[in-house]
Amino acid sequence: MYEERFDGRKFDELRPIELETGIIPNANGSARFKIGGTEAIAAVYGPAEVKPKHLERSDRGIIVCKYDMMPFSVPDRAKPGVDRRDMEISLVISNALSRAIMLDEFPKSMISVYVYITQADAGTRCASLTAASMACADAGLPMRDLIAAVAVGKIGDSIVADLSKAEEDYEGGATDIPIAFLPSKDEIVLLQLDGEVSKEELKKAIELGRKEAEKIYELEKAALKRRFMYESKG
Amino acid sequence: MLFVKNYDVVTPGEMLADEGIGGNGTYSEGKKVFSKFLGTVILSNGQINVNQLNGAYMPKEGDEIIGRIAAVEDTYWVVDLGNSYYCRLDAREANTGYRVEDLSELMNVGDVVYAKILRVGRDMSSSLGLRGGRFGKLPANMLIKFNPMKISRIIGKDGSMINMIRERSKCDIILGKNGVAWVNGDKLGKEAVLSAINMIDTDAYMGDIFERVRETLEKFSINKDEAR
Repeated sequence: MYEERFDGRKFDELRPIELETGIIPNANGSARFKIGGTEAIAAVYGPAEVKPKHLERSDRGIIVCKYDMMPFSVPDRAKPGVDRRDMEISLVISNALSRAIMLDEFPKSMISVYVYITQADAGTRCASLTAASMACADAGLPMRDLIAAVAVGKIGDSIVADLSKAEEDYEGGATDIPIAFLPSKDEIVLLQLDGEVSKEELKKAIELGRKEAEKIYELEKAALKRRFMYESKG
Repeated sequence: MLFVKNYDVVTPGEMLADEGIGGNGTYSEGKKVFSKFLGTVILSNGQINVNQLNGAYMPKEGDEIIGRIAAVEDTYWVVDLGNSYYCRLDAREANTGYRVEDLSELMNVGDVVYAKILRVGRDMSSSLGLRGGRFGKLPANMLIKFNPMKISRIIGKDGSMINMIRERSKCDIILGKNGVAWVNGDKLGKEAVLSAINMIDTDAYMGDIFERVRETLEKFSINKDEAR
């Protein structure tokens, strides 16, 4: 039975969050998202000419995403370069982003999204997705909504939010469920599941995820506006 | 009901009104109006508009642009506007009055051209026109790149900002809506224009930009007096 969390958090409490935009001057848009021991930096370039040319679509733009973990981001060195896991996460990030970005507004062009994990302590795909969506908004791309992503899960018999690595490795069995929302549209753009969970528990987990994503969404909006606070005075 | 007021900064997906008419930079779902961009709200004539704070240039009919010749073909030039879209300038726009065998005699690859966008196709490809005004090939001179969304800040209210820069730097400036400025003048004047435009580009949102640009330009004119 898992009754108290390792770091003393409540079951529905997120780790401390830091958000920042405009950190990479050379990119069209960039963002940094830190949640506890997990930190992701994202840079967005484009819309630009599509390369390789065969990916081009004449009626809409495309998103190409690259997710990578820095060698020093984990206790054992992560081998540099794109492996199977990086490819999977790149794909789910670009799929989720294509639901949020209005791609039909820039046909025949390509948006490149680069996400790097500088520190990893579980929940990296959610952190990447949140950072990437903020970078896209910072780049001035037309979007239906921002993406707020959070990892929920089941540890022992309890449903908890924002698992850390120690919790994911809990001997009593842990299930990791990353969820991403378009909060103002109430749409789910990413839902993955690793472990065992019953139907009722999954429903409870999604409900918890929705509540936590709302919190992240508010922080995202505040961070994007913070840079332009003087603009509102006219 | 309207949830925002003029000059509010909004993020993508933020609901602006649950009943209203959306203009530029917004999208509607039923009667609700949402923002499409990270930008500032401008209310005009009962319409809700959102002005982007950052972003890429998208060609629009009637825009005056500064481009670079990317290729010379038999009957047209291909012009690079600094984005990914194809743009062509037809030979008949050059209006020479006589037959030109080789178009590169008039304008060659790398030349800078000031033109107006006549048409934009569905795939964002556009064609340019040279009739009227100062349109045509520009002599080689300093080009400044800036964020295309900041052009209204560089122009200012009724051209107040750009006219001040022109006056104080004594430079001839042409602005292209695709985020390129062409500057002709003496060396110090060009430096003054460069620092003024860069300042608007990077910290326009920090308030009192007009005053701060004026101070910067003044510094350059003081240096000029000292140099004499």
